[in-house]
Amino acid sequence: MPTLKIDGKEVWVEPGTNVLEAAKKLGIEIPHYCYHPALKVAGSCRMCLVEIEGMPKLQISCHTKAADGMVVWTNTEKVRKARQAVLEFLLVDHPLDCPVCDQAGECYLQIYYMEHGLYKSRLRENKIKKEKAKPIGKHIILDQERCILCSRCVRFTREVTKTFELGIFNRGNRSVVDLYPGISELQNRYQGNLADICPVGALTDRNFRFQTRVWYLQQAKSICPGCSRGCNIEVDYNISREYKAGGRRIPRIRPRHNPKVNGYWMCDDGRYGYKYVDALDRILLPRRLDEGEPVELSWPAAYTMAADLLSEATKEGADKVGVLLSAKMTNEELFAARKLFSSLGVSRIGFRVEPKEPGYEDDLLIKADKNPNTKGAELLELGLGAGKSDVSALLDAAEAGEVDTVVIFNEDLSKSSEAERAEAVLPKLGRVIYVGTNWNATAAKADLVLPMATFVEQEGTFTNFEGRVQRFWKAVEPLGESRTGLSILAGLATALGLEPVSENAEEVFAELAEQVPAFFRGSATRNLVSTGNWLRARLGRR
Amino acid sequence: MSVEFSEKALEQLRELLGHYPDRQAAVIPALHLAQEEFGYITQEVEDYVAKLLEIPATDVHQVFTFYTMFRDRPVGKYHIKVCESVACHIMGSTNVLDYLRKKLGIDVGQTTPDGRFTLTTVECLGACEMAPMMQVNDDFYGPLDEKKLDEILESLE
Amino acid sequence: MPQVKVLTEFFDVPDSHKIDVWEKHGGYQAIRKVLKSMTPDEVIEEVKRSKLRGLGGAGFPTGVKWGFVPKDSEKPKYLVVNADEGEPGTFKDRHVIMNIPHSLLEGMMIASYAIGAHVAYIYIRGEYVHPARRLEEAIAEAKAKGYLGKGIFGTDYDLEVYIHRGAGAYICGEETALLNSLEGKKGWPRLKPPFPATVGAFQSPTVVNNVETLSYVPHIIARGADWFASLSEGTERCGGTRIFSVSGHVKRPGVYEAPLHTTLREIVYDFAGGIRGDKKLKAVIPGGSSCPVLKADEIDVRMCFDDLAKAGTMAGSGGVIVMDEDTCMFDTLRNIIHFYAHESCGQCTPCRQGTGWLVRIFDRIAEGRGMPGDVDNILEIAQNIMGRTICPLGDAAAMPVISFVTKFREEFEYHVREGRCDLEDRKQRVAMAS
Repeated sequence: MPTLKIDGKEVWVEPGTNVLEAAKKLGIEIPHYCYHPALKVAGSCRMCLVEIEGMPKLQISCHTKAADGMVVWTNTEKVRKARQAVLEFLLVDHPLDCPVCDQAGECYLQIYYMEHGLYKSRLRENKIKKEKAKPIGKHIILDQERCILCSRCVRFTREVTKTFELGIFNRGNRSVVDLYPGISELQNRYQGNLADICPVGALTDRNFRFQTRVWYLQQAKSICPGCSRGCNIEVDYNISREYKAGGRRIPRIRPRHNPKVNGYWMCDDGRYGYKYVDALDRILLPRRLDEGEPVELSWPAAYTMAADLLSEATKEGADKVGVLLSAKMTNEELFAARKLFSSLGVSRIGFRVEPKEPGYEDDLLIKADKNPNTKGAELLELGLGAGKSDVSALLDAAEAGEVDTVVIFNEDLSKSSEAERAEAVLPKLGRVIYVGTNWNATAAKADLVLPMATFVEQEGTFTNFEGRVQRFWKAVEPLGESRTGLSILAGLATALGLEPVSENAEEVFAELAEQVPAFFRGSATRNLVSTGNWLRARLGRR
Repeated sequence: MSVEFSEKALEQLRELLGHYPDRQAAVIPALHLAQEEFGYITQEVEDYVAKLLEIPATDVHQVFTFYTMFRDRPVGKYHIKVCESVACHIMGSTNVLDYLRKKLGIDVGQTTPDGRFTLTTVECLGACEMAPMMQVNDDFYGPLDEKKLDEILESLE
Repeated sequence: MPQVKVLTEFFDVPDSHKIDVWEKHGGYQAIRKVLKSMTPDEVIEEVKRSKLRGLGGAGFPTGVKWGFVPKDSEKPKYLVVNADEGEPGTFKDRHVIMNIPHSLLEGMMIASYAIGAHVAYIYIRGEYVHPARRLEEAIAEAKAKGYLGKGIFGTDYDLEVYIHRGAGAYICGEETALLNSLEGKKGWPRLKPPFPATVGAFQSPTVVNNVETLSYVPHIIARGADWFASLSEGTERCGGTRIFSVSGHVKRPGVYEAPLHTTLREIVYDFAGGIRGDKKLKAVIPGGSSCPVLKADEIDVRMCFDDLAKAGTMAGSGGVIVMDEDTCMFDTLRNIIHFYAHESCGQCTPCRQGTGWLVRIFDRIAEGRGMPGDVDNILEIAQNIMGRTICPLGDAAAMPVISFVTKFREEFEYHVREGRCDLEDRKQRVAMAS
C-alpha cells in the first residue's frame, strides 16, 4: 500500500490510486474540471496541478499515481498561481451568462473563482462566438460558448452509453463540443447525466432550465422508484420559493453515487419519471361514489366507510376479499398491509401486475421490471401463486364468483395486461376500494378512493432486484390530504378495531426484520448502510 | 445521391487496410481517397467512410474537422496555397497574397468564377528555402515575386 | 569552417534517390552487416556510442530511446518515422527524402532490427505529395530486390514499411499526437506516462524517430560509432553532423550539413553567405520557430544541444531563421503566435486559451489599439502557458513570445504606445524577395 504525504498529512491508498483521489481521502479537494472518477483520465483541463517534491514541473494530480514516500503539496503559492492562470484562461472565452445560467450556484468556474481566482480581469479582447442554446437531445441544451472543453460529456457517450453522439470538432480555440452533424439529437437513455457531469453551464437540463435557482433547493436522499434497479438519488426540492418551477416542489432529481447499484448515473426514465408527484391528477381527498356521483370525504368518514366495507365483506367470508398490493409500495407498507389483512383472515394478498408491454431493459442500469420493490414483496412471501400475475388470479376468482370485494393499492389495471378483463369484471364486484396517488381509470370506478403519499413524501425501504434493501428519506409533505401508506393502514386498523399499526417506518421495519426470516433479525432502518450491503450479504447466506 | 467508392478506390482501401492492425487507422487514408474520388467531403461521405471502416461517424467527423487538408466544399482546378508562416512572412508572403488577390480578383477562401483558381493560405509547408513560397495542387513554387507569379499563373492557364 | 557532409554528400550525385545509384555508393551494406553479424543489442550500443541524437527537435539520444523498448513484450513492436516536418524554418527532412530515400529506408531497417519491429510506418505530412511518392518508389525498389518484405536480404527477418500520409496538422509532429493520428484519431497528444516505448502505436511498444536521425544510422554502422561521434569536436554529448535549414534574409538559403561545434555565425555568414543586400543582422532563431530568438551579438554560439541550451535557447529542429535589421519584431512574433494558435490542438487549457488570447492581443495592438500593461500581460500569459501543458506545443508558443518580448521590449512598447512600427519611418515593408 503506497503511503504518501499530502500537505503534511500522511495517507495510505490502494496501489494505482491517483493523487487527486488520495487527497480526497484526507478531505482535501483538489480543484479539477476534466477528471471524473467514472471516466477515463483526460488530463486536459490542467486545473488539478500540484507540486510534488523532486519533480521540477507541476504535475496533474489526476494522472499521477500515488507512490510510496511521495510528498505532495496542493496549496502552495506556485500551485495557487497555476490554478489562477488556468481559471483565467478558461474565463477568457467564457461568456458572462451567470445571471441567466442555470448552473449558477453549482458552477465550478464560479466556485473555484471564489476559492482560487479573485483576480481583476485583464481581458480587453472580444470573446469567441459559438453556438448557444442548441437543443441536442430530448432533455439537454448545449451552449458552446460556456463550454470549457473538459470532454466529460464526450467521454460519457463513448465510455458509458457507448453511443458516440458527441465529439469535439475542429481544433485550437475553435474547438467545439457538438453532436455528430448526421444525427439530430442524442440517442441514449441517459442524457440527464450529461447535465450533471458538465462542470459548467454548457449542458443544461431542459427539465430544469429556468425553473429555480439551485440555492433555493434542499436535498433528500432517496431511491428511484422507476424500476427494480433502485438507483440512489438525490431529490432536490424547493419549499422556500413556492412560485418557482411552476409550483412544482421537485424541480429535479439527480443520481446519488452508489458504486454497488448505479455508480454515478441514473436513466432518463427514472430521472424525469417523478412528475406525477406534483401533477394535477394527484388524488387529494378521500372520495366515494354515491350512485355513480363522486362525494368527497373526511379521513374519519373514509376510514369508517372502509372499515364498514371490509367488515361486511369478511362477514360473508374472508375468502371473498382480494387484496392487490403493489411492488411500488415500501417494505414497511407491504409488511403492515400483510399483517392487517391477514388478521382479517384474508389470504388472497397479491401484488404482481403484468404490464401490457414488457418493459425496456439494457445492460447498464435499466431493468424491465418497472417496480422498485418486487423483490421485497417476494421476500415477504406475498402473491397468489406462481406462474400467473396476481391480477389474473384475482380476476379469475372474481369471474368465478369466489371474490366480490377487492382492495387495490396504487395499480392502474387499465395499464396492465388484464386491462380489458379488469374493465369488465371490476364494475360487477360488490366493493372496490382503491388506495393510490393519482387518478386513473381504475381509481375512477372504485367505490372508495383513499389518497396516498408518493415516495418523496414519505420514508421507507425498497429491496432492489439483487436483494439490496435501500432506505430513502422524505423530501416534502404529502400533497393535499394524502397520507402515507402506513398512516392509512394505521387508520384502517384503528377503525377495524385491530391491533394498532405504527405509522413510523423505522418501527415497522424493526418489526419486519424481527418477524420475516428473509430480513435480518433485529435490524432497524437506521442501521442500514446506504448501500444496503450487509443486509444483502446476510440474505445471501440464508 | 448515394456515395460509393469506385472499384479502384475500394481496391486501394483494401490494400490500405492491410497496413494496420485495426480498421480505424485507415480513416485518414480513406478520407484522402474520398477527397480524390469526390472532390470534397460531405456528411454522406463521412457516413460512408464510417460504414466502410466500421467506426462511429463521430470519429470520422472529429478527424475530418481536425486536419486542414480535408475540405467540405469543392476547389478550383488549381488550388493555390500561399504559405504564411514566419520564414515566408518575413520574406514578403503578405505581398504575394495581396498580388494574387488582386490578380485573381478573389479573396482568401474563394474560387474564381470560372472555377480555375481557389486561393487559400496555409501554415509552413517545409520549404522555407524557397520563401516566399506557395503550393499549387501538389507542386511547390518559390521564391515568388510578381514576375514569377505571373509566369506560374500563365503556365497554369 | 567547412561543411562536413555525411548525408548531403549524396545530394549532388545524379539520381541519388535510385536504389542502383545508392548501392553503387555503398548503400545497403550496413544493413547486411547488421543482419549478418550483429545482435540487436550490439546495434543499440553502437548507436548509443555514436552520440546520435533526435534531430526532430527534442534531441533525445537515439540509442537510449531504442533501449527503452521492452525485450520481453508479447506485443508486436513498431518503428514509426516522423516525417511530419512542419516546424517553421525547417525543411531538411524533405531534402533527405527527395535525395536519399534509401538512406532513410536502410536506417529504418537497422532500427527495426534493433528494436524487434517487423512493421514500420513512415508518417509523412500530407502536403509532402512528391516526397511521399519518392518514398513509395524507393520502397517498391527495395521490395523488388528483396530488401523489404518476407525474409529480407535472404535472412529470416521480415520487415514491411508502410507510408501513412498526414492531412495538415503541425501538432502531429509531436510523437504521441503522431501516434494518435496514425491510429486514425485526431492529433491530440497523449498523457505521459506511458511513453511510446512501452505503449505506443496500437497499444504496442513503439519507437518514433525523425527522418534525418534514422538516415545517419547506416553511415554510423558502416563507418563506426567512433567516427560519427568524433565529427563534432569538443562537444561532450553531441556527435556527428546535422543538417541545418537556413532561411530568411540570407544570400543563400538552403540546407547545410555541419558538425555540432559549428557556430551559428558560421552558418549564417559562411554557409548561407551572410545577410542579403549586406544589411545588418538583427536576430536569428536557431532551431525552428519555437526556439527562443538570439540577438545579433549572441550568434557566436556552437550549435550543439548543450551550448544552445546554455545560451538560453534550443537546438530544436535545426531551422535557422535569419532576420535583418529591417525586420519588425512585433510583426514577426505576431505571425509566430498566429501559427501556434492555429496549430494548437485545443486539448488542454493553457495552450488552447493562451495562444488564442495572445493572438487577439497582438491583433489589437496591430490595429493601433494597444493599452498600457499589454507588454507585461503578454509576458505573463506566455509564462502561464509554459510548463503547464500536455505536450511541448505550449512551450513552443510561449518561448518565442518570452524571448522576443524580453530581448526587443522597446519595439513592443513602441507598438503598444504609438500604434505603429518604429521601423516605419525607415523602410519597414520588406520588398518581395528581391
